[in-house]
Amino acid sequence: MGASLPPKEANLFKLIVKSYETKQYKKGLKAADAILKKFPDHGETLSMKGLTLNCMDRKSEAYELVRLGLKNDLKSHVCWHVYGLLYRSDREYREAIKCYRNALKIDPDNIEILRDLSLLQAQMRDLTGFVETRQQLLTLKPNHRMNWIGFTVAHHLNSNASKAVEILEAYEGTLEDDYPPDNERCEHGEMLLYKISLLEECGSLERALEELHKKGSKIVDKLAYKEQEVSLLVKLGRLEEAAELYRVLLAMNPDNYRYYEGLQKCVGLYSENGRYSADEIDKLDGLYKSLGQQYTWSSAVKRIPLDFLQGDKFYEAADNYIRPLLTKGVPSLFSDLSPLYDHAGKLHFAVMIQADILEKLILELEHSIRLTGRYPRRTDKEPPSTLMWTLFFLAQHYDRRRQYEIALTKIDEAIEHTPTVIDLYSVKSRILKHAGDLAAASALADEARCMDLADRYINSECVKRMLQADQVVLAEKTALLFTKDGDQHNNLHDMQCMWYELASGESYFRQGDLGRALKKFLAVEKHYADITEDQFDFHSYCLRKMTLRAYVAMLKFQDRLHSNAYFHKAAAGAIRCYIKLHDSPSKLATEEDDEMSKLLPSQKKKKRQKLKRAEARAKREAEVKNEESSASGVSKSGKRHVKPADPDPNGEKLLQVEDPLLEATKYLKLLQKNSSDSLETHLLSFEVNMRKQKILLALQAVKQLLRLDAENPDSHRCLIRFFHKVGSMTAPVMDTEKLIWRVLEAERPSISELHEKSLIEANKFFLEKHKDSLMHRAAVAEMQYVLEPNKKSDAIKLIEDSANNLVPVNGALGPVKGWKLKDCIAVHKLLETALTDHDAASRWKVRCVDYFPYSTYFEGKCSSAMPNSVYNQIGKNHENGSASLPGGGKIADSVASNGKLEAFKELTI
Amino acid sequence: MGAGREVSISLDGVRDKNVMQLKKLNTALFPVRYNDKYYADALASGDFTKLAYYSDICVGAIACRLEKKEGGAVRVYIMTLGVLAPYRGLGIGTRLLNHVLDLCSKQNISEIYLHVQTNNEDAINFYKKFGFEITDTIQNYYTNITPPDCYVLTKFIAQTKK
Repeated sequence: MGASLPPKEANLFKLIVKSYETKQYKKGLKAADAILKKFPDHGETLSMKGLTLNCMDRKSEAYELVRLGLKNDLKSHVCWHVYGLLYRSDREYREAIKCYRNALKIDPDNIEILRDLSLLQAQMRDLTGFVETRQQLLTLKPNHRMNWIGFTVAHHLNSNASKAVEILEAYEGTLEDDYPPDNERCEHGEMLLYKISLLEECGSLERALEELHKKGSKIVDKLAYKEQEVSLLVKLGRLEEAAELYRVLLAMNPDNYRYYEGLQKCVGLYSENGRYSADEIDKLDGLYKSLGQQYTWSSAVKRIPLDFLQGDKFYEAADNYIRPLLTKGVPSLFSDLSPLYDHAGKLHFAVMIQADILEKLILELEHSIRLTGRYPRRTDKEPPSTLMWTLFFLAQHYDRRRQYEIALTKIDEAIEHTPTVIDLYSVKSRILKHAGDLAAASALADEARCMDLADRYINSECVKRMLQADQVVLAEKTALLFTKDGDQHNNLHDMQCMWYELASGESYFRQGDLGRALKKFLAVEKHYADITEDQFDFHSYCLRKMTLRAYVAMLKFQDRLHSNAYFHKAAAGAIRCYIKLHDSPSKLATEEDDEMSKLLPSQKKKKRQKLKRAEARAKREAEVKNEESSASGVSKSGKRHVKPADPDPNGEKLLQVEDPLLEATKYLKLLQKNSSDSLETHLLSFEVNMRKQKILLALQAVKQLLRLDAENPDSHRCLIRFFHKVGSMTAPVMDTEKLIWRVLEAERPSISELHEKSLIEANKFFLEKHKDSLMHRAAVAEMQYVLEPNKKSDAIKLIEDSANNLVPVNGALGPVKGWKLKDCIAVHKLLETALTDHDAASRWKVRCVDYFPYSTYFEGKCSSAMPNSVYNQIGKNHENGSASLPGGGKIADSVASNGKLEAFKELTI
Repeated sequence: MGAGREVSISLDGVRDKNVMQLKKLNTALFPVRYNDKYYADALASGDFTKLAYYSDICVGAIACRLEKKEGGAVRVYIMTLGVLAPYRGLGIGTRLLNHVLDLCSKQNISEIYLHVQTNNEDAINFYKKFGFEITDTIQNYYTNITPPDCYVLTKFIAQTKK
C-alpha cells in the first residue's frame, strides 16, 4: 500500500490507514492532505481520504474522491477495496461484492479482502461463493481456528452437512490430545455439540450418539448434552432409554412442557391433535398422577392433565388445580386455562365440553364462598380476596363465551368488592372492547393506567385501547410517558416499537389519513430491513466465539424473517393504503382544487403565494435544525448522534407516488414469498392484479384462495368476480390476449367450484351449502347483485332473511346467539356501500342494536354513544370503574354499609 | 385461611406514582371527595401516610398531616384511616394505626389527634383501645351528613427519655 510514494509520504499513508482503523478521522484527513499537496493525483490517498470523509458524514464528497482515486489508479487493490467498503457502508452489498472481486483480481491472496468478501457473501446468502471464499481463506491460513470453522459453516449453510462434518474432523485432527486448555473449554464444547447436531442433520444418528458419549467429558453444556442425547435416542427408536432420560430431565426442570411431551411420545401416549381414547386417557392420567407425586412443586404436571381429561375426572382435576390459585390470587389464571375453551370443536358433541364444566365448577365455588366463606366440602375459611378473584375469573369466562352482560355484572361486583386491583379494570376494559364499546374500553384502560404510573405494561395496554378507539393524539401523549426523554415519538420508532406503529397505522387508515397510515406501515417494514441488516456483525462474531448452533439458528430465523406476523400486518396495511390511493387518487389535491375554485383569481394568487412561503419557511427550519443537530453531534465525538428532523412527518410525500399499484406490488411480492399460506395475501393479490388488469396473476390468486379455503366467503367473492369480469371482456385481438384466453379456457374446467355451472348457478350452489351462515349469505347476496344488478331486492332479502339463532350448548340451546359483532358491522357496511340501500342498512342497524347493546357502532342503548349511558362521562371517573359521577343517594348508602368497625370518617379537609 | 396459611400484611408508602390507589380507597370508603390539598399533605407527611397490602392487594390506608404547633413542636393529625369492608377484622387497621403511633414515639411527637362523627361508636371504641380520649366536641363540623357534630379524639404520647 502506498508503494508508489517516497518513504516520508509512504509513512504518512500508513498513518491514514491507522487513523481510519482507530477512528481518528481528523488526524487521517490531515495526513491525506499532506500527501495530496505533493501528489495531488495519488489514487490510493484520494480513496482513503474519501473513506475517511465517509465516516465524517460527508457522503457526496466521499463518493467523488473514492471514484476519482480509482480512476487514477485502476490497478490498485486498495482503491477497489475502499470502493467496496464505501458501498458496504451504504448497504449496497451487490455493488460491494463486485468491487471486492475486482480487488481480488489484482491481489488474489489478500486475506483482509477475502474476509470482507466472505462476510458479504454470508449476508447475501451467496452460498457457493461463500464456500469458495472460505476455502481460499483456509488454504491461505490453515493454522487459524476461525478459518476451519468458517469453512465448515459455509458447507453446512450450502446444504452439505456431511462435508461440514469431514472438515471439523480434519480440524480436530490438528489438535493435541490435551486440547482444550481451560480457557477454551466452552468454545470447544460448543464446537463438539455443533458437530453432533451436524451428524444428526445428515442422518448419521448412531455416529452422533457415539460421538456424544465419547466426547461427553469435553462438553461443558450438560443440559444441551442431555437434550441432544434424548433427541438422538428417540430418533433411533430406543424409546425406553429415552423415557428414562426424559425423567432425568424432568427432575432437573419439572415445568418444561417439551419434556412431558417427549416422555408421552416415548411411552406411546401422544397425539398431535390432543385426541385420545378412553383407555389412553386412563393411562395418561395414571402417568401424570405418578409424576405429580415425584414433582410436587411443578405446576405443569398439574396443568397438563386438564388438556386430556374429560367429564368427572376433568372436573375433579380442574377443581384441585383452580382452588389454591384463586386463594393465592393469580391474575393470569384465566389465560392459563383459556386454551381449554378452544376444545369445543375437538370433542364429540355428546361430551360436555370443558368450558361448560369450568363454568359449573366456578359457579359452585362462588356460591359456596358467598354463603359460607369457604370452598365446598372444606372447613378452612378462605381469605376475603378469594371471592374477588373468583368473580374476576367468571367475568373473563363469560367474556370469552360472549355473554358480555353477565361478564360486566361480575367484574363490576369484583370492583365494588376490592376497587384497588388494577387487573379488574384492565379486564373490564377488554370486555367492553369485545362488546363493541371502544371509547369506554379506552377510558377504563386509562383508569387502570392511572393506578400505577410506573407500570409500562398497563401504560402500553392503555395506548393500544386508545388507538383502537381512534384517539391517536391521546395515545401518542400517553405512550410518550414511557419514552426516555419524552422527545417526539421518533423514540418509539428507534425502539422498534412495532405494535404501536401498526395500531397507529390501522387507526389512521380507518380515519382515512392514508399518508400517516402509510408512514407507520412503512416504518415497520423498515424495522424488518434493519433486523436483516443486524445479522451482519454476527458473521464474524459468532465464528470467533464459537456459538455455532445459535449462529446457524439465527441465520435460519433471518431467512424466514418476513413471514413474521408483524411484517405481514404492515405489508398488508401498506398494500391496502396503496389500493385506496389508486381508487381515489390524490384526494388531497382535488380537495384543494375545490377550495381554490371558489376563490377569486387575485385571492387564489395570494393564497398560492402564501402556501409557497409557508412551505419555504418550513423547509428552511428543517434545514437549520438538521445543521444544528449534526454540528452539535459532530463536535462531541466526530460521529453524528442526533437524527435529522423528519422532512415528511405526515407522510404527504408518500401519497405522491406515481403508481400506487406498483408500490403495492413490491410489498405484495414479499407477502407472496413469505406468507403464501395466508388467505389475506391472495385476497390482496387479487385486488391489486384486478386493478392492474393482470388477468393471469389474478387467476393465480383465485386458485390460491380456493386451495387454501374454497368455502371462505371471500374466496367465493373473488372467484365469481374474476369470471364475471373475464366474461365481460371484449374478444381478444392481440396475440398475448389470445394466449390469455386460451389459458383461461384450459383452466376453467379444472375449477371444481364452477365445472359446467354458470356463475349464477355456482353462486346459488354456494348458498345452498352455507345457507345458515350470515357471512356466506352476505357474500352470495353481494355476488348476486354483481351478476344481476336488476335483482337487487332479492339480494337484500337474502341478507335480511338470515336468522340469528342461539348456539347450542350440550345439545340444548345456550344463552348466546351465533352472530358476531364484527360480522354484523361488515354486513351493515355492505348494505350501505356495495348494495347502496340506505333503508336496508337502517333496518339492519335497528335489528343489531338489540343484539349488541354495548356497540357504539350500532349506537346500542348501553354504549357510550348514548347520552344516558354510564360511560358517557368518560374522563370524569369518580366512581371506581364506572367512569360516571355518583349520585348523592349512593353516597348515603355506602356510608351506611361502611358503618362497621374501622371505617371512619374524618372529614376535615 | 386456605391451607391454614397466614396471609401477609405489609405497608407501603404513598408516592405520586401510586397515589391513585389512595384515591380509589377513599372513593370506596368515605362519602367525601378529598381535594388536592389532602393528597399533597398526605404525600408531604412521608412515612406517616401508608397503604396496607393484604397479599399484594391494597386494602386500606392511613393518611396523616403533620402540623406545626406554636412553639415549633409537631403534632400529627390523622386525616383518614380505613380498610375496605371485606378485609375488616383482620387487624389491618390496628397495624396501620400502630405504625403511626410507633413513628410518633420514635420521633418524639407528643400529640396525635383526629375528628370523628359523634355517632360513630365503633370508631370511638376502636381509638379508645389505643389510648385516645375525647378532648373536645365541635358543633356543626360536617355540612352534608347528620349528625353534623364531631368529637376530637386525642392521644398524648409520653416522651421516651434518653
